[in-house]
Amino acid sequence: MTRILRSLRDGIGFDVLLVIIALSYLLVFAGLPLIYNVIISFQTVDVFSLGTLWHPNAGFDNYRAIFDDPLAGRVLWQTIVFTLGSVALQFTFGFALALFFHQNFTGATWIRGLFLAAWVMPGLVVGVLWNWLLSGDFGVINHLLESLGLIEDPVFWRSNVETSLYAVLIANIWYGTPFNMILLAVGLAAIPGDLYEAAELDGANAFQRFWTITLPMMRATIGAVLALGIIFTLQQFDLFAAITQGGPAGSSTVAQYWSWQLSFREFDFGRGAVISVLMIIVVLFVSLIYVRSTKAETQL
Amino acid sequence: MSGAVTNRVLLAVALALAAVYLFPLYWMYVTSLKTQSSIFAVPPEFLPGAPQWDNYATIWEVANILRYIGNSLVIASGVTLITALVGSGCAYVLARYRNGWIDAALFAVLMLQVLPPSLMVTPIFVGFASVGLLEYPRFATILAFSAKTMPFFVILCRAAFMTVPRELEEAALVDGNSRIGAFFMIVLPLARNGLLISALLVFMNGFGEYVYSASIIADNRLQPASIGMTNFLQPNVVNWNAIMAFAATYVTPILAAFVLLQRQIVNGLTAGALK
Amino acid sequence: MTYQIELDRVEKHYGRFHALKEISLAIPKGQFVALVGPSGCGKSTLLRSIAGLERITSGTLRIAGEPVDDLPPRKRDLAMVFQSYALYPHMSVRDNLTYALRLKGVSRAERARRAEEVAAVIGLETLLDRRPRELSGGQRQRVAMGRAIIRQPRAFLFDEPLSNLDAALRVRMRKEVRALHDRIGATSVYVTHDQIEAMTMADHVVVLQAGRIEQQGTPVALYDRPANRFVAGFIGSPAMNFIPGVIAGDGRAVRLALPGNPMLETTIAGTPGLQVEVGIRPEHMVLGSPDAPDALPLVVNAVETTGAASYLFTEGEPELIVTTEGTATIRAGDTIGVSVDPARVHLFEPETGASLRSASL
Repeated sequence: MTRILRSLRDGIGFDVLLVIIALSYLLVFAGLPLIYNVIISFQTVDVFSLGTLWHPNAGFDNYRAIFDDPLAGRVLWQTIVFTLGSVALQFTFGFALALFFHQNFTGATWIRGLFLAAWVMPGLVVGVLWNWLLSGDFGVINHLLESLGLIEDPVFWRSNVETSLYAVLIANIWYGTPFNMILLAVGLAAIPGDLYEAAELDGANAFQRFWTITLPMMRATIGAVLALGIIFTLQQFDLFAAITQGGPAGSSTVAQYWSWQLSFREFDFGRGAVISVLMIIVVLFVSLIYVRSTKAETQL
Repeated sequence: MSGAVTNRVLLAVALALAAVYLFPLYWMYVTSLKTQSSIFAVPPEFLPGAPQWDNYATIWEVANILRYIGNSLVIASGVTLITALVGSGCAYVLARYRNGWIDAALFAVLMLQVLPPSLMVTPIFVGFASVGLLEYPRFATILAFSAKTMPFFVILCRAAFMTVPRELEEAALVDGNSRIGAFFMIVLPLARNGLLISALLVFMNGFGEYVYSASIIADNRLQPASIGMTNFLQPNVVNWNAIMAFAATYVTPILAAFVLLQRQIVNGLTAGALK
Repeated sequence: MTYQIELDRVEKHYGRFHALKEISLAIPKGQFVALVGPSGCGKSTLLRSIAGLERITSGTLRIAGEPVDDLPPRKRDLAMVFQSYALYPHMSVRDNLTYALRLKGVSRAERARRAEEVAAVIGLETLLDRRPRELSGGQRQRVAMGRAIIRQPRAFLFDEPLSNLDAALRVRMRKEVRALHDRIGATSVYVTHDQIEAMTMADHVVVLQAGRIEQQGTPVALYDRPANRFVAGFIGSPAMNFIPGVIAGDGRAVRLALPGNPMLETTIAGTPGLQVEVGIRPEHMVLGSPDAPDALPLVVNAVETTGAASYLFTEGEPELIVTTEGTATIRAGDTIGVSVDPARVHLFEPETGASLRSASL
């Protein structure tokens, strides 16, 4: 006993204790749910069986129901479009802004900081804001597009099955661009300036310098930003809740939102868990590639 | 072009970009000050007329914003408290050593950070229901959301602890401190700023939390402001000025904190996000 | 006799890495001991093990006769000066100095008194309320010293405390540290990679390599009678010249593997025909006429001069260095004659590196 006490005061026991407290917490509130998730995906969990730890066995019924659901294919496709669209455009805008603000001019850092204001806002507020901006009859976006001559009639962004997913996508690009920008800006700042000077002396023009110095030196950062982009986009939920709620007719439903709807709107937790299990596998797979490729040295 | 001219052109472009980008925020504030009729004016009025402060009075009285924000504060405080108390020590140890065990723990933490709340909420809700935690919905939300913020906090704080040279702690040990004493008297004060910023970010996250609250907290009186906003969003809503007043009231404190601490927040986040 | 610090067959493993091998060392009260060796030799690990910052794997460690293997650093009553000084950046100089006293529960008034006293000793009376970042490198170094002195510990541990200072200040601090040690009658263990620091400051020098003590003794003993080729090459600047050779017929001379196979007299008896490494310090090679009977004829390839001394580098393999006083008139291409006092010639076994002199003693 005194040995343990002494180790807590002066030795490795102190460190072990600190880690164990945190890891136990995470085990109980994240690790166990992960396992429980798999279990309930094989059970019938509804409002009646809720409240017990163990529920009636359902075998693969929930999985069959999901795969047979006519919505499944569309949700998968919409998830892919939303994720890749968000990542690609957030990255493009973020990189362009990062390069622009990388030039040395008065106030560059300060103005760049303004962009980050969007990103500290709650997702739900951003969603409500864009809900209003993209409103059909009185939305200011429609007005601007009309006065620029880009559209003739108002686009009913949120209520049209053709555009509802893009309504959320636009909001998400706006929301995620600053994060991409700041990470890429950090990467740009880490490239030693004398490399550019050497390249200039070697006769490289601005375009060549970008291709031969900036891009190769940024490879690790770009990889990290893209992987984080996928991970964060698969976490996006609030914008859907605030703009389209997955509708109309499921036209803007993505996997993570569908899972939640099944659980908390249809109270079919078993089927909600099925999608949750499948999506978590995807997310963990992407993260695994990311962490492995950065040799666990880079942090999320 | 001379340097000064280039400088001015770039500055002008930068300001224009920022203006375009931040237009949605501007629109939020402008709408929140308009009358019911002028929000539906065609073409839209880009400059506010006489500010309608009544909109703010309305949400104050009718929409119970105070209660909602109070609940948000409770959730944010609880999450921050649990996250900081449990997570700081772990972050310190992960910063202090480098070996196989630490790498494994770090890997586990990284993996837990990426789990989407909208997916985790299903098993957590079912589990909480079976052990009776749903009786205390705000507390349940705090417990669940802390598991989401903790990995993030640990990663950020680890970066802060790594800036404290190990020799300082060793000097304290030789000077007569126990490990616990050295942690509280030397390491914690030196990592304080990083810790506070990380805690502030966790607080902001908790303040804006939606998924867990929306799933777990059924009682209207206990719901946070994020749900308060969605309660407005009925189909065919017309009172956008009130909604925007609600939104403005909700986010202005966050934006103010951000403007005041912008440099530290950005440094903290990027330190945690990239090597 | 009880020693102030005593190590008996101390071993340290980090996983499969064997950091300290059978270290035995006894330090009497009042002695100034230098641990010296190339980087990675284990000297810092040894110091940190004494401090209690590392746990030793086996062996015993006693401080003032008391076994301390199981004691945490705070119970060992040792003071340590770190290479980076490790001054607490969030405390004033005064608080840095008195931190250990505060932990011991010394009263505020007493702490203030001792802080003034020590500040006078280290010459920082006017800086007591500054923060460490407002001090120069030399001043920080003094605070680190003061923080150790104020405690009146059982021993002082120094981990390369001067290596962050510029050259001139380093030379001055060398003397100051030693004078301080003498004045307060301290026992000190001083880690350095700089053999000149070790030689000039210490009573007793311990040379480490790859976790093992190669030799320990007074600076003069290490210089005059290196136990092996490693110590011979490590101590002294410029480093000792090594020339392969064979012990000649009468056992009192060696035939050197240099052009013309010249003979060199020694005072070491050896088995004729034995292959050896001959060691001669550059400063023991005396310049003379190339025609003198016993002189080694050498061709100069390059000359470096510091003004006070000149270093002549010879042509061929192995390259030899000859030190002469003052500015040499000799230039590259000149032929010189070098003679060596037979008592100054060292012989080493080529395989083990062991000195033949210590074997014959």
